[in-house]
Amino acid sequence: MTSSLLHYRAWHGPWRKPLWSVWPIARVALGMLLRRKLFWALYGFALLLFLMFFFGSFLLDWAETQLAAAPIQIGRLKTDPQRTVSFLRRGIRVLNGSQDTFAYFFSYQGAMVLIVLAFAGAVLVGNDFTFRSVGFYLAKPIQPRHWIMGKCLAVAAVVHLLTTLPALVLFAQHGMSDFDYVLDVDYFTANNLGRGPAGWQLALGIVGYGMALAVVLSIMLVTAASWLRRTMPLLLLWVSLFLFMRVLASILVDGLQYDGRWRLLDLWNTLGLVGHACLGFQHRNIGNPPQPEFWEAAVTLSGVCVACLILLKMRTRDVPIVR
Amino acid sequence: MPDSVEDANPRRADRALTAAPTDGVRDEAITPASITLALPRAVDAARPADIPAGRADQAAKQVALRFDRVSKWYGPVIGLNQVTLELRSGITGLVGHNGAGKSTLLRLAAGQIRPDLGAVHIAGRHAWTAAAKRHLGYCPEHDTFYEDWSGRRFLEGMAQLCGYSRAQARERTDNTLQLVGMRDRADRPLAGYSKGMRQRIKLAQALLHDPELLLLDEPLSGIDPIGRRESIALFRELAERGKCLLISSHELEELEKLTDHVAIMAAGRIAAVGTLPQIRAVLDGHPLTIRIACDQNQRLAGALWQLDHIVAIERDHDSLLVRSRNPHGFFQKVTELAITLPLEIHHLETLDERAHDVLDYLLGGRRG
Repeated sequence: MTSSLLHYRAWHGPWRKPLWSVWPIARVALGMLLRRKLFWALYGFALLLFLMFFFGSFLLDWAETQLAAAPIQIGRLKTDPQRTVSFLRRGIRVLNGSQDTFAYFFSYQGAMVLIVLAFAGAVLVGNDFTFRSVGFYLAKPIQPRHWIMGKCLAVAAVVHLLTTLPALVLFAQHGMSDFDYVLDVDYFTANNLGRGPAGWQLALGIVGYGMALAVVLSIMLVTAASWLRRTMPLLLLWVSLFLFMRVLASILVDGLQYDGRWRLLDLWNTLGLVGHACLGFQHRNIGNPPQPEFWEAAVTLSGVCVACLILLKMRTRDVPIVR
Repeated sequence: MPDSVEDANPRRADRALTAAPTDGVRDEAITPASITLALPRAVDAARPADIPAGRADQAAKQVALRFDRVSKWYGPVIGLNQVTLELRSGITGLVGHNGAGKSTLLRLAAGQIRPDLGAVHIAGRHAWTAAAKRHLGYCPEHDTFYEDWSGRRFLEGMAQLCGYSRAQARERTDNTLQLVGMRDRADRPLAGYSKGMRQRIKLAQALLHDPELLLLDEPLSGIDPIGRRESIALFRELAERGKCLLISSHELEELEKLTDHVAIMAAGRIAAVGTLPQIRAVLDGHPLTIRIACDQNQRLAGALWQLDHIVAIERDHDSLLVRSRNPHGFFQKVTELAITLPLEIHHLETLDERAHDVLDYLLGGRRG
């Protein structure tokens, strides 16, 4: 070890800026997560939902054509063709590649995201505090904000893997003519599928929805995990934020007839509102009225993010001594 | 039991307060009653004599680490209290009992925590800035890593945080692994590493970007004797290159092999900074004990007793135990006497000049 410093020379080359360290930090965090079997099990489960959306439209198309040709009869039980077709058409409206399709997709897939993040928070962020790895990071020529950005990037990647990426695949699928997978140009130009934009505007809306989810959830998770560290407290907080507050908001608005703005307490609904705005929904078309305005939802989420960032700054100002 | 010939003269009892300070050490710095006054800027003594003139001298001129009246509280508890300290190139040992503030000082220097009062600068920049950390390598005491990763992968990740590209990080990791003697074992998972191997990996991650300032918290703990010898040689080599090493350690014997320049901490303050003889010399309440044996012990005792700084002379079998408040004057006088009387001196040694003794005297035996 000490025979000579022959191979160990002073570094005279250029250094990369600290911002470049964001990706290695994110990659390390993702590497830790992707090694867990539990993550892949949850991811596989989440993909089932995607597959339902992916193949659902084909299935409903096929069922509708079959139904017209031959009414369904199981034993003595006959279905009313009119009612069945009406049911299928309602289903197809959700699966026809319109803004509704993606709003539903994000809503269902988002629930899986919340579960995955609740489990992943400890691995992605909490362990850095539990095992004091954060000390190694912050002794390097970076600032705490680079560590925060790296961790947020890792969480955002998980969110995109579960929502935006499958949604874009779904968008691409709808952009093809049924089974022959020839580009369906009409899909990108027509505006008649739902009650809002289609085509590239819709694609941008999908990305916007995904980004809103990724930014808000990553900041919230990194903050929560840096303070709580362990999986179980994180789960409890997550359940409180996204389930208890949802129930509370519902009781206040639907039960006690309070102002619709009380729904802002329901962070998942608030996130959904911003997402719906990205997808081009008109406010009057949002379900479960009364709902707060889009801008109110955006301001609320911004406030939550700012509060989280303040907490994160407090947490990383001094590397905590934790055991 | 040795015979005591301690002087009852009250004139001598005052001498503890009038001992002349040694060069580079301020006289008010260390008193038995109050050990909490810092002794700044006695740092050049730490520089090894054989540092190459050019680069090392240039480095020595530059202050690598500066604490300027730094205080840090942990809630109602004060972790560091008005610490002022400057370190240039060379090795400085950081010693003190548990809870004295060593780790707080290192963490402040590493930019991991911020002072509540005062400022910490590395190479002239605030310690918590990325620019300052370019000059810093920090080896913390704990060794918790991502256990299922290999040492090499861990280091490559750390190297990229230092600002290396992936290819550069790979090369730099390889060179640093060779430096710490871990190249052949670097591809094993960290979970299977021994304590000593983990220490080496920690040291490697601190050395990746060739920093000028190295903060090492207990770097020798858990390392086998051969590894220790290698580590000590490496630290010396790095110091000879003009680097500044601040080493916190409870292994005082090992620390003494590395350097006699120490910063002693007590109750959140720097109690003393300087070489061990410098610090020892101003511990007035604890005169230096010297064992001396010659062919005319009685005559020597009589001659020495005439000196003002001699506090006590005891006979211990065939030798004398002399307690002096001015070791320099004592040795000068003994040399004179050896020539003039003349004396044949068989044995001469200082008994309480080691780091352990200095710490025990300074910290009142509360060393952790």
